[in-house]
Amino acid sequence: MPLNRDALWYKDATIYQVHVRTFYDSNGDGIGDFQGLEQKLDYLQELGISAIWLMPFFPSPLRDDGYDIADYNSVHASYGTLEDFCKLLKSAHDRGIRIIIEMVLNHTSDQHPWFQESRSSQNHPRRDWYVWSDTDTGYKGTRIIFLDTETSNWAWDPTSKSFYWHRFFSHQPDLNYDNPAVREQMWNVMKFWLEMGVDGFRLDAVPYLVEREGTSCENLPETHNILKELRLKLDEQFSGRMLLAEANQWPADLRQYFADGDEFHMAFHFPLMPRMFMGLKLEDRKPITEILQQTPEIPPSCQWSLFLRNHDELTLEMVTDMERDYMYDMYAENKTMRLNLGIRRRLAPLLDNDRRRIELMNGMLMSLPGTPIIYYGDEIGMGDNISLGDRNGVRTPMQWSGDGNGGFSNADPEHLYAPLIQNPVYGYPAVNVASQRESGHSLFRWTQRIITVRRSTAVFGRGSIEFLYPANHRILAYLRRLSNEAVLVVNNLSSTAQAVELDLRRYKGNILIEMFGNNIFPRVGDLPYLLTMGPYQFYWFRLRRV
Amino acid sequence: MIGPVLDGSPSKACGCALEFNVEDGNFLTDDFLRQLINVGEVDILVGLPTHNNAKTIRSIVQTIQNGLLRSFPRERAVIINADGGSRDGTPELVTAISIHDARPTPNPYALRTLHSISTKYASNPDGGVAFRTILAAAELLRAKACIVMSPESTNIESEWVSKLLRPISYDGFDLVTPTYRRPKFEGLLMTNLLYPMIRALYGVRIREAHAPEFGFSGRLGSQFLNQNGWNDGTVGIGTELRFTLAAITGRYRVCQSFLGEKSQAERRSADLVPALRQTVGALFSALEPGFSFWSRVTGSQPVLTTGPDQEMLLERVRINRKRLREMFSIGVAELESVYQSILAPATLAELQRIAHLREEEFRYSAELWVRTAYEFAAAYQKSVINRDHIIQAFAPLFRGRVFTFLVENRNSSMNDVEDNIEGLCVEFERLKPYLLQLWKSKE
Repeated sequence: MPLNRDALWYKDATIYQVHVRTFYDSNGDGIGDFQGLEQKLDYLQELGISAIWLMPFFPSPLRDDGYDIADYNSVHASYGTLEDFCKLLKSAHDRGIRIIIEMVLNHTSDQHPWFQESRSSQNHPRRDWYVWSDTDTGYKGTRIIFLDTETSNWAWDPTSKSFYWHRFFSHQPDLNYDNPAVREQMWNVMKFWLEMGVDGFRLDAVPYLVEREGTSCENLPETHNILKELRLKLDEQFSGRMLLAEANQWPADLRQYFADGDEFHMAFHFPLMPRMFMGLKLEDRKPITEILQQTPEIPPSCQWSLFLRNHDELTLEMVTDMERDYMYDMYAENKTMRLNLGIRRRLAPLLDNDRRRIELMNGMLMSLPGTPIIYYGDEIGMGDNISLGDRNGVRTPMQWSGDGNGGFSNADPEHLYAPLIQNPVYGYPAVNVASQRESGHSLFRWTQRIITVRRSTAVFGRGSIEFLYPANHRILAYLRRLSNEAVLVVNNLSSTAQAVELDLRRYKGNILIEMFGNNIFPRVGDLPYLLTMGPYQFYWFRLRRV
Repeated sequence: MIGPVLDGSPSKACGCALEFNVEDGNFLTDDFLRQLINVGEVDILVGLPTHNNAKTIRSIVQTIQNGLLRSFPRERAVIINADGGSRDGTPELVTAISIHDARPTPNPYALRTLHSISTKYASNPDGGVAFRTILAAAELLRAKACIVMSPESTNIESEWVSKLLRPISYDGFDLVTPTYRRPKFEGLLMTNLLYPMIRALYGVRIREAHAPEFGFSGRLGSQFLNQNGWNDGTVGIGTELRFTLAAITGRYRVCQSFLGEKSQAERRSADLVPALRQTVGALFSALEPGFSFWSRVTGSQPVLTTGPDQEMLLERVRINRKRLREMFSIGVAELESVYQSILAPATLAELQRIAHLREEEFRYSAELWVRTAYEFAAAYQKSVINRDHIIQAFAPLFRGRVFTFLVENRNSSMNDVEDNIEGLCVEFERLKPYLLQLWKSKE
């Protein structure tokens, strides 16, 4: 299957997020690798996704799961070789699957040669590649992100006897983007991978590139200028490629990352995600509709990126204190589930392994405006292991079968990069790809089906949204429209059956066709359209005149 | 014409101008049902009976909302307005204050939707029908804790919501009645009759058994909704008081919560006879079905109270004492034949004696007052004459008792007034066998 050559391909995509290390081990060393991932491309094709987002695979001391890069122009030896990566890229493209890779622009590992050189002498040519200071008092207004581990954004370097700036872990010094040489070098890094054929970058931690005294050092105009500069070069030299922003910010601040359609193609909608969980638990659409009401319009060529879970904690930075307390109490009663300002759990355990809720949340993910991202393993309902530190509990090996090591690796279990989930509910004997492939009603088969239905129309990826606000606040209903096509989405956020009356008078004369079964529902008339819905049920209806 | 002319229209006693169909048991309108379906199950329900309260209702609903958002931000709640045919736009004001996403009003404390819905239950106000509507809504929505708030409590504070709801939501109580800080000569019907008589008969020391604000559990509400005789002609009479008595006789857990000062707006003196119908009438009519309960009760017990049991303000309240005594004397003279059928000869003779005393000599003693009240209760039970006429005939005598209470406590401190009320309570308890004797003589 050839790649879709549409320049706006990302708008119609369904993205699958995976870490090479976690997916499949082809050489029996206990660590997933490029060849293993390549061998599983048929599975991903069968699932129906159209793009893979690969988490960092660069050489790294792995003190932050690869987000501490020590060499931007190579791959970590544990995952294979550059050649293996190229092979994976080609095989994916042959199946019509694009590859998006991670690019950590903001900082490097402290083991990166650039930093080693920079710290080696105050006079080294690369001294200004990082942000140094004689004191730790600068940029006072800047928040600390990793509250559980860091007490300051400055760290003392005993080698050069000065402080360096870091927004994340202290072993991740921030690059100095005021230095043109740094900007040039990072473009060269991106160019290196683009020339190899990657289809896009997920640019990590972009709000923090530039520091200015008296500001929060986030979302600064100077940062946006740098990002626009990168975008310009990308468009000039590599058309059809995509930039995805990781900016955990409020909608109004996020909007700036699209600029006039000349900065990012896509950006994660971070504030929406926790509110989907909140709306579900409250059985009230208010948190969801309110945040989308606050979400500004974006340029036509741009797209939101939506997700339910990812490799990080379920971040609660973009909620109020009251909402955060509620989320903690509802979803992380056990305090070991909490990390930084978030909850380190996977989708299925968060939803009590309730198939109806998992389907409803995925239904919203796939039908709200944006491109959905599925975190590896969530398509089969994998669990987590909160006894593993940091966010490693949601990064355990993919569960392929009920065989030894869950079919992930032939290595001895003690050599695996992380233990498999083994508990009775989520363990690999109970939850695995092989068994779910055998069942027509498994979560895997259901996920496959919903992706297929989503792909049957461009309205979900490109259409407008209009909320209906039925008086029953447990029902989240919206119309997605694209030219003459209209799809009505109705979600019951409640654990109980609900009746809802929808004002569809503008669509009088249309019939409703339920998109999963293609069954016909009564024609819309003058009266409110009455629907009864089971607990956590959702409908997608195509509106059609006949 | 003052006081003692008996009004012969019994419809005023009932006042149940129902617009709904009681024949088939349906009394909620389709529109209201549709609103309830949209609200769905709730944890907390706030009932707000109204009639032409446009001047105050907005601030009251907003205060209730604030109370809910502050103290119960996670609970599912609804404010339900049962309106008795307002013509000043009261229901529209209530519904306009809903917190929902179709008309965003940023409120950092509002985690979820907070509906304010309204139904017009009749074209004339009727507290009983309004309360029944609220109870039915509470049952349909499976509300666990409910409160009723007065639309006339202009000094309502958001803490009242918490004070009335918490004992139900968190401590397992079924009924929370309020106590207030009042001027010492306010609530005289409560202090001189209802509190002491209910205490003596039912053995429970509830200060405000007929309160405009109170809280109750869903299970108590359901029990009252389904067992109360809504169609027996008493639907509009003293529903709040009968509700309190139902909680006591049903052995539900009852407590009191101190709310603070009552507003001036509510201190307006209402017409006495309608007030007596709502309170004394309700109490008297509840005695027969409750006989098996109260006849076995001896003594009384305090109920758990959050905050002070009662607080008094020593501010002066202008009351025309001379007129009270005049109305008493005229009543005793003009209604002699009525009293002959109600009162024991000795009691009537004593009343006639004191009616002729000069103002400075006049004293309607506690013992005489208790005997009067008990004899009226028994006569009401026997229906010696039209029951509404019995209640109307009670009014002049109550005025006489109030005169004595005012005189006795004119210069009293708060504690002295409390001692006086306590003395009256003790007298009601002491003479309870007399009521039982009257009751048995009837049999």
